[in-house]
Amino acid sequence: MLQCIFLLSDSGEVMLEKQLTGHRVDRSICAWFWDQPDSFKSLPVIASPTHYLFQIVRDGITFLACTQVEMPPLMGIEFLCRVADVLSDYLGGLNEDLVKDNFIIVYELLDEMIDNGFPLTTEPNILREMIAPPNLVTKMLSVVTGNASNVSDTLPSGAGSCVPWRPTDPKYSSNEVYVDLVEEMDAIVNRDGELVKCEVYGEVQMSSQLTGFPDLTLSFANPSVLEDMRFHPCVRFRPWESHQLLSFVPPDGQFKLMSYMVKKLKNTPLYVKPQITSDSGTCRVSVLVGIRSDPGKTIESITLSFQLPHCVSSADLSSNHGTVTILSNKTCTWTIGRIPSDKTPCLSGTLALETGLERLHVYPTFKVGFKIMGIALSGLRIQKLDLQTIPPRLYKGFRAQTRAGDFDVRL
Amino acid sequence: MFNQFGSTAETLSKASAAVLRIGTDAHLYDDPEDVSIAPLLDSKFESEKCEALKRLLALIAQGFDVSNFFPQVVKNVASQSSEVKKLVYLYLLHYAEKRPNEALLSINYFQKDLGDPNPLVRAWALRTMAGIRLHVIAPLALAAVGKCARDPAVYVRKCAANALPKLHDLRLDEHAPAIEELVGILLNDHSPGVVGAAAAAFTSICPNNFELIGKNYKKLCQILPDVEEWGQILLIGTLLRYVVARHGLVRESLMLSLHGLESNGFYEKDGDKSDSFDANLVSLVSKCYIEGPDEYLSRSNCVDTVAASFDSKETTSVGDNEDVKILLQCTSPLLWSNNSAVVLAAAGVQWIMAPLEDVKKIVKPLLFLLRSSTASKYVVLCNILVFAKAVPSLFAPHFEDFFICSSDAYQVKAHKLEMLSLIATTSSISSILREFEDYIKDPDRIFAADTVAAIGLCAKRLPKIPTTCLNGLLALVRQESFAGDLESVEGEAGVLVQAVMSIQTIIERDPLSHEKVIIQLFRSLDSVKVAAARATIIWMVGVYCSLGHIIPRMLTTITKYLAWSFKSEASETKLQILNTAAKVLISAEVEDFQMLRRIVLYVFELGECDLNYDVRDRTRFLKKMLSYKLACHEPAEDSVASQESIAAQVVEHVFGRKLNPFSPLNLHNRFYLPGSLSQIVLHAAPGYEPLPKPCSFVFEEHDQLSDSDRQREARNDLNGSQESSETVDEDGSSEYDSESYNGSEFSSDGDERNDANDAADPLIQISDVAVSTDPEELRSKMALDLWLDEESSTSNQTPSALDRNQSSYAKISIGDVGSRVKPKSYTLLDPGNGSGLKIDYTFLSEVSTASPLHVCVEVLFQNSSKEPIVEVNLEDEEAMKVSDSAEQTLVGKANASYNNVPTLIPMEELSCLEPGQSAKRLIQVRFHHHLLPMRLNLHYNGKKVPVKLRPDLGYLVIPYSITVEEFLATESRLPGMFEYSRRCAFTDHVKDTRMENGKDKFLSICESITLKVLSNSNLHLVSVDLPVANTLEDATGLRLRFSSKILSSEIPLLISITVEGKCNEDLNLTVKINCEETVFGLNLLNRIANFMVETSSSAS
Repeated sequence: MLQCIFLLSDSGEVMLEKQLTGHRVDRSICAWFWDQPDSFKSLPVIASPTHYLFQIVRDGITFLACTQVEMPPLMGIEFLCRVADVLSDYLGGLNEDLVKDNFIIVYELLDEMIDNGFPLTTEPNILREMIAPPNLVTKMLSVVTGNASNVSDTLPSGAGSCVPWRPTDPKYSSNEVYVDLVEEMDAIVNRDGELVKCEVYGEVQMSSQLTGFPDLTLSFANPSVLEDMRFHPCVRFRPWESHQLLSFVPPDGQFKLMSYMVKKLKNTPLYVKPQITSDSGTCRVSVLVGIRSDPGKTIESITLSFQLPHCVSSADLSSNHGTVTILSNKTCTWTIGRIPSDKTPCLSGTLALETGLERLHVYPTFKVGFKIMGIALSGLRIQKLDLQTIPPRLYKGFRAQTRAGDFDVRL
Repeated sequence: MFNQFGSTAETLSKASAAVLRIGTDAHLYDDPEDVSIAPLLDSKFESEKCEALKRLLALIAQGFDVSNFFPQVVKNVASQSSEVKKLVYLYLLHYAEKRPNEALLSINYFQKDLGDPNPLVRAWALRTMAGIRLHVIAPLALAAVGKCARDPAVYVRKCAANALPKLHDLRLDEHAPAIEELVGILLNDHSPGVVGAAAAAFTSICPNNFELIGKNYKKLCQILPDVEEWGQILLIGTLLRYVVARHGLVRESLMLSLHGLESNGFYEKDGDKSDSFDANLVSLVSKCYIEGPDEYLSRSNCVDTVAASFDSKETTSVGDNEDVKILLQCTSPLLWSNNSAVVLAAAGVQWIMAPLEDVKKIVKPLLFLLRSSTASKYVVLCNILVFAKAVPSLFAPHFEDFFICSSDAYQVKAHKLEMLSLIATTSSISSILREFEDYIKDPDRIFAADTVAAIGLCAKRLPKIPTTCLNGLLALVRQESFAGDLESVEGEAGVLVQAVMSIQTIIERDPLSHEKVIIQLFRSLDSVKVAAARATIIWMVGVYCSLGHIIPRMLTTITKYLAWSFKSEASETKLQILNTAAKVLISAEVEDFQMLRRIVLYVFELGECDLNYDVRDRTRFLKKMLSYKLACHEPAEDSVASQESIAAQVVEHVFGRKLNPFSPLNLHNRFYLPGSLSQIVLHAAPGYEPLPKPCSFVFEEHDQLSDSDRQREARNDLNGSQESSETVDEDGSSEYDSESYNGSEFSSDGDERNDANDAADPLIQISDVAVSTDPEELRSKMALDLWLDEESSTSNQTPSALDRNQSSYAKISIGDVGSRVKPKSYTLLDPGNGSGLKIDYTFLSEVSTASPLHVCVEVLFQNSSKEPIVEVNLEDEEAMKVSDSAEQTLVGKANASYNNVPTLIPMEELSCLEPGQSAKRLIQVRFHHHLLPMRLNLHYNGKKVPVKLRPDLGYLVIPYSITVEEFLATESRLPGMFEYSRRCAFTDHVKDTRMENGKDKFLSICESITLKVLSNSNLHLVSVDLPVANTLEDATGLRLRFSSKILSSEIPLLISITVEGKCNEDLNLTVKINCEETVFGLNLLNRIANFMVETSSSAS
């Protein structure tokens, strides 16, 4: 089991250490870790001379956990991910200052989340009841009175029930439940312009504020499109196995009900046509972006970013729509926004190669970003959401959106 | 202008950050020490205490040692504020091990909190108490865990389960059975949350105690989907291990499927069967899963042990084994879990246990895991790789999932490439190669080089595609050699080298048909500038110099070229040129021989004056070896002298050998269980356990009757008055309702209902700690003095209940055993360590003259060396140092009046000890703590040696002479948590009774017990009671009472020993201690139980 958790800042400084068992881990292990060459340091599981290290990096913060004995490495990694999720939820983001400023909360959370190296309470809803997240009111209170405890005196009711994700008896004057389909499209277009892979990763996100102990059933119109899925622990397996129905007692508030994959899609909503010719030390680049198949809704926040190859010494790029920025680390971003109706956005310009190089032999990959509100590109449709006992004043809502995940266009 | 704006933006963001930081603990983290912390800790305001504690935590977070505040912090454990409490606990847990003495001070508060009506407070107290990890309080903590394991609140029970590994970690052997018992109870809990934590405890405490699982197997399987994700991970593994140990592997599973695959329809439509299933590898994998590292090492390192020797008796089948079927059923929905670790664990079970045709269903869930975080992705890929190595066809249709996207981390990319080259089939290879072409143009050149290597692997696996691959690679070599002109491009050289090596791997399968490719490579020598690539090509010239028809004809030209370029080459290349020259010369045809000989001689001459000494050495070596060739003028002269023929043979052997095809299997022929850490780091991590041996666990049916049931039955038999109407059911929650739980278990008066619960629990009967408060028992004790003339009709529930059947008692008196008491001696110094000086010590029962706190110890010095030893003395180590104030205050708290007494009253110095001589000295010692040894310095011959004087608990008490009546009265005042009992075996009397036939058997039993007790501790024998109604052989009911006072505090301590069993056989003793000082009492109890079991020579 885990013996110790360290939080490291992006400069390698140990911000926090939490010893979990009697076998204390000296913080010198962090220095050792930080001094490793990058290729080794970026491994998620590292065998150091004294310990096995698990690490994840989230927003510049390295979460490092140590163990000396055999344990499922994924358990350590998943737990660290959970810690990072909870922390960024509590602190409203993650960075060095936030962690340092709220170190007491971090300690309290860690203490509650893990006991003797084994996860104890990781359900965000229960944690929120046990340790109040910092908010403006408590901050002001603590400034004025100098005292505001954020540790609850009582055990959350959910902690002991067989539905640990839900407080026993929440009461709302108006009952609301919203279902969001949030999809991410992953696609790869190879250098011949061929779509080699196009799939959608989606999540069914819900927000429920329902009185009592509601039992919900969600059904899809076309569950057969789903390639594979993963469920929140509240989903009962049986109804899904037999009828592809999602039957569950929802947690209170925001949660991710399920995630799914839809594979082998035929089309991306956008096309990106890059062209590059290089001769005698300069390259001419032109990239066209346009709508391939109209999804029926506006495609928003289209961006295109790519890393200029090392051998490019300078770049002069301009576009007929949107803005182009080139950062010092040779990352070039073209922010398009929406596609105008009257013209096709085009990025063009020249790249100067380093002296001595005639032609470009390595080519960048364009990462495409976009967002479409109101549509799920996978084609998955929600049929209906039923409540076993319908509470008074019930509002149900459905939404969908798609954004680009790993959408790579190779040049 | 931008600068200006930038600076404004910076100040703005600073300002906004400052606003955001208001009300947070930022100032505490930044300057934790800007105020003095100590007075804040003593403040009467909770908020100030809170601030002080936060400052301390900030210091801990920054890596400072603030353990010196420990005493002040511990005081605050009594605070009512939950925040202060939480912070104190955080601090305590961090430092408890460093400051054990002070940590003990907090125990009472934990005890109090454990009785709090608020479950959160109870849980915190339990977590902290178990977490401070002191051996001294382990018995108390165990008792607390036992209590909390039956708490009405799930959360508390869960914490109890988590506390068990903490106690187990202390490695106290005497508690091990009790801990395992508790694991069993918690595994049987009806709440999934508790079961999950119990599964974790099981894995770390007793992973091979399958009996515990066997009892609840079906229930555990049913509850599995409801268990929390973290518990699921470990529970899945536990269930798998149990099933393998109980039933063995599944006959239809992949692990045992060496033959008959075609009939299974496993291949589907996939064209070539040859590569869809590597039977050797699969059997190797299954072998690795089962055998531990020792067996692996002992097995010879060859792979030919393919025939897996699984006895058919050790296998089972899904069809007719219910347990296997349930396991597969309950784990397969977990493939949909949200937690990657659960999915992988469930996939592992299916992989090992599922019938061959069902293994397919793990593929999609595993592929879905590739959409999770980078770190998880990497671990999952490592595991998928093993699966794919064994059964490539499993993942072959899903090759698109392993296409690389630009955001992947380098390691993930590398693994995906390996995966692609593993699963490529004739139908998918064209798409995969097209992808590879793209990757080669990637700006990350290391990745591009890996891709080139992967192409080589693909071509090697699929014999039909090499031509396409080779053409591509050759084009690449040509192109790269242009780009290679520019050395500035990092990693560029790697791609070229890799390309040449890949070509070489492809060619080596069938060199003859690739003759043209080889020639093309040779031709490109001129343009290839990278030394490593050149070296490889030149090496190929040597290897393939006699291949086909065209190459031998080119040889002279190539060799000439090499000789010409020798001067300008890197030394790496030079070495290869020398080798090649040698090989070329050996295989030279007659017509070219003279020419070649001259070129080679030229090369050797150049080599001999090279700057690099490796090159010079190699040249001289080759020159010497080939001297016979270089000297002669015709290549194949038959009239070579005999010594020359030997040289020729050696040369032939060194240079002319065929290449051995190199099998990648040999590289990684070690596999670990899927999902394990060992599989990722590729060595057995400490604590890694392979699957248990198939069918190694034999399940006894009658064990299925759970302990508590048996207990209840036994009690009902014994006890007619207590009807079985009592509803005690381990999975009914009725007994846990809040009404019955009044939170006062640790106070002296528990109510009836609680007692019933306590008694119903098997824990009390078997474990060595009993904290039950039992008024009924109490009553019976008070009536004890009337027992001589009145039959006891009360029902007892403690082990002493056994004497219920006896009607009357006789007191017996034992003759003078004092003369036979032989105190035990301990070794202080081994003659081996003390250069011949041997020191033993014995605790004396005499009362110290210095103070009541001192113990007299007789020290026996013996000189077993040949030289006299002079100036022997023992001194207190502490006396030299400045005494630690904190420790003084702690000790002083209990007995302030003796504070100024030194801890060691020294002995008279031994001026000289002749060889063979021995001398006794008396020292008086005051121990700081009843378990901690005292450090002394031994001086002799002018040397100083540190030694440790260990306290014997039995002598930290003094005899307390009281009458039986007083004894009973005192005992009745110390019920409940002041009473603890333990059972142990006793065998000393057996020898004794048989030897002295004339003596009364009971008397001799009493004598041997008394002797044993008095030889090991300083007690007063109060009385010996003998049940009158006993038959001659039955010693059951015999009871001995001893009394004493604790040396340091003068608190009375009562010991009763009750005997059970036949006179001539081993006896079972129940030792009971009543004492207010719980920690001391429990430790003494353990000590007594331990020495009673020891067979000592003193009894004979």
